Amino acid sequence: MISYIIRRLVWMIFVIFGVMTITFFLARVIPADPVAAVLPSNAPPEAIAKLRAEMGLDKPIWVQYGIYINGVLHGNLGTSIRTRQPVLNDLLRYFPATAELAVAASIIGIIIGITLGLLSAVKQGSILDHSGRVFSIWGLSMPAFFTGLMLVILFSHILHWFPQMGEMPSYLRRPPRVTGFLIMDTMIAGNWSLVLNELWHLALPAFTLGWLSTASIVRIMRSSMLEVLPEEYIKTARMKGLRESTVILKHALKNAMLPTITIMGLQVASLLNGAVLTETVFSWPGIGRYATASFLSIDFSAVVGVTIFMALLYSSANLIVDLLYGYLNPKIRYT
Amino acid sequence: MSQKLLLIGALFAMCALPVFSQAIPKDTLVVGLDIGIIVDLEPARVYEDASNLVIWQIYDNLITFNGTFNVLSPGLAESWDASADGLTWTFHLRKGAKFHSGNEVTADAVVFSFTRALALNFAPIWMLKQYVPSSENIKKIDKYTVAITTTVPLSEGLMGAIMGVQGICSIIDPAVVAAHKTASDPWANKWLQFHDAGSGPYKLIEWAPNDRVIMQRFNDYWGGPAKTKNLIFLDIPEVEQQALSLESGSIDIALNLLPSAIEKFKTEKSFKVYEIPGWHIRYLAMNAGMKPFDNPLVREAVKYAIDYNAIVNGIVKGAAVIGETFIPVGIPGHLDATPYHKDIQKAKDLLAQAGYPNGFTTQILCTPTFPGRDIAIEVQQDLAAVGIKADVVQLVAAQMYTLYRAQKQEMIVADWGVDYASGDSLVKPFAHCCSTGPDAPVRQLAWRNMYSNCKLTALVDKTETELNEAKRLDMYKQIQQTILNDGPFAIMYYPLNQYAAKASVKGFVPMNSLSFVKFDGVYKE
Repeated sequence: MISYIIRRLVWMIFVIFGVMTITFFLARVIPADPVAAVLPSNAPPEAIAKLRAEMGLDKPIWVQYGIYINGVLHGNLGTSIRTRQPVLNDLLRYFPATAELAVAASIIGIIIGITLGLLSAVKQGSILDHSGRVFSIWGLSMPAFFTGLMLVILFSHILHWFPQMGEMPSYLRRPPRVTGFLIMDTMIAGNWSLVLNELWHLALPAFTLGWLSTASIVRIMRSSMLEVLPEEYIKTARMKGLRESTVILKHALKNAMLPTITIMGLQVASLLNGAVLTETVFSWPGIGRYATASFLSIDFSAVVGVTIFMALLYSSANLIVDLLYGYLNPKIRYT
Repeated sequence: MSQKLLLIGALFAMCALPVFSQAIPKDTLVVGLDIGIIVDLEPARVYEDASNLVIWQIYDNLITFNGTFNVLSPGLAESWDASADGLTWTFHLRKGAKFHSGNEVTADAVVFSFTRALALNFAPIWMLKQYVPSSENIKKIDKYTVAITTTVPLSEGLMGAIMGVQGICSIIDPAVVAAHKTASDPWANKWLQFHDAGSGPYKLIEWAPNDRVIMQRFNDYWGGPAKTKNLIFLDIPEVEQQALSLESGSIDIALNLLPSAIEKFKTEKSFKVYEIPGWHIRYLAMNAGMKPFDNPLVREAVKYAIDYNAIVNGIVKGAAVIGETFIPVGIPGHLDATPYHKDIQKAKDLLAQAGYPNGFTTQILCTPTFPGRDIAIEVQQDLAAVGIKADVVQLVAAQMYTLYRAQKQEMIVADWGVDYASGDSLVKPFAHCCSTGPDAPVRQLAWRNMYSNCKLTALVDKTETELNEAKRLDMYKQIQQTILNDGPFAIMYYPLNQYAAKASVKGFVPMNSLSFVKFDGVYKE
């Protein structure tokens, strides 16, 4: 097991190195000048040349690459041309907001997904089954910015149930930064009514993002339940006289969870993609907003930094999923 | 049964959700805007509207503008005078003006601020450097008097416009900088990216990037304390969200709204809409260094082919005013002339006269965003009507400007922002080009479009040193007229800056440039 994890980690380093190299060169192949994107269109040529030299963009690409790799090995992901901050600082600054959103979205997605998938399989062909499918496909096929805006219009504009945007009320100060995670920091500051208020702010964006992942979870959950339900051991369990809920929840669910977990792991990627749009709609100050702004301004270091960061999250999620397999199905051995 | 109870309970809980008030307290003004992709509060480096706007609240300049750019208002300098040769400007400082630290604003601080900006030498410094190249040009006369010498004689309007530029000409507290400098960062550049050392009506409390800028009124402000205690700029990148937030009351003022949202707010009593022509010029340019645009008749034909009305009323839905000269409304020296309008026959005649009776093929560059792309498509149709076949090529801004700066475009739809409140910031980019090679001193729009006119360039150079304000403005008009007749630009409009606020918001004065809007007089009833 330990040696398996070590091998996987070594592989991860290679993957990340590859992703980094490819992104580094891809970003620079685009015939566009990040300096021209960051400075106003009326900046004089001297100003442009100056900033280019400042950012080391006047050096040959191989030299730039060498400098970059050297930096990465020393824990330096370069400086963002847009924010003028070290990219690593930026990533750490914006990550907590995204993490809070993604965790909340995953919880919502998983609860709704598994419940709907389970019910759809048990009550196959019923209205519940069909409407569950419509609900989940709907979430998947609508882009997050559309879902988000529709939810805002319905739930905050017409019904006034939820706030429109942001992590907290527009007119308040943020609690002192300790962990960077707003809700946690608010707890540390002991402001419990603000914590509730923040959870209330989190609801709509988390639902928007969670809905996205519901679709695949429902479908996989439903089909693997349908596969498991006719199995002999389920029949045996029923014949033993176990209650139907015990049969479904204890015997069927655990086995049907296996493929679902894979999907949930893969959802990490779609959550990050969705976060880019969701964060923009809800003015959520997370890494998605940072990524969008960086891409639009062709901020080389930030683009590569975000990509490495996402690749790291994605490969870690995959590793965790693989390890979870073993827990759920002892037949799987790591060699 | 228990399940049903649970469901009913949950529904009740939903109804009880809005327990937290969204209402903004009266002593707090929340302004929603797209703070944008560029973020920096280092005064020596700010170079676009959103950051300028923050700097304009927390720092003061020697001079300022109140509601108009035609009149200079005293800022930290109570008065100023020039030597007879126009080369030395003496500023008399207001006594008793204080920085947020409590330190007094003195001549030393003024000398320090300019020295710092020149030493840091960031991108926008060229605006100052073109006339005040080094810190040797700035001298303390006594505790409350500073003399600035310029390389060429400057008229009051031009000197004032430069001294009014936020950031590079903002006055900074030397003691605060000294307290935060380090060996590798002698100007406390890193610290000032997130903190303030100003004397403006508001103090910077916190800037959380991508989220909000929180400011609080400075009670010892020389102009009297601001009317609202807390000022918050909230970053809302999505324009629809800005409109919804204003409607629901989670912001008091929205600065980036679509024309459709503006129309809606106009019809509602509880909101007030503010409109003012902006410091922007939207134009189509033709590369005069390439055939067939080297022929002035062809350029004129294109100017007559364009349906300006369709662009202003159709595409941008009236959120602009038609303007065909390069100094926009609101800047002294604007030439109010709009001779071109869609005239297909005239355009065809001009093309025939130029030797292109059957038109020609060309290319229009634009960005894939509104309204650039939509305008390019409209122009494409307008040109087709006179026999010119144009392909529309959409490129992201960074890519398009890279080509444009290398003079590689045939036609391009682009826009231009004004740097400072003087025609001086426009005559050079639009009309200064006597050589199209890389040695040209000004390589801006006239140069990028390879429009070389040495006589006109000489006139542009003369405007710089013309001390008589009226004469200088006349020269600007003359230059605009030449470019209007002969130049490579078909200028289409000046976009309107459109803002909406709750009707209870009073004292908001829009300016032609968002960078110059002051919030210390704004309050809620």
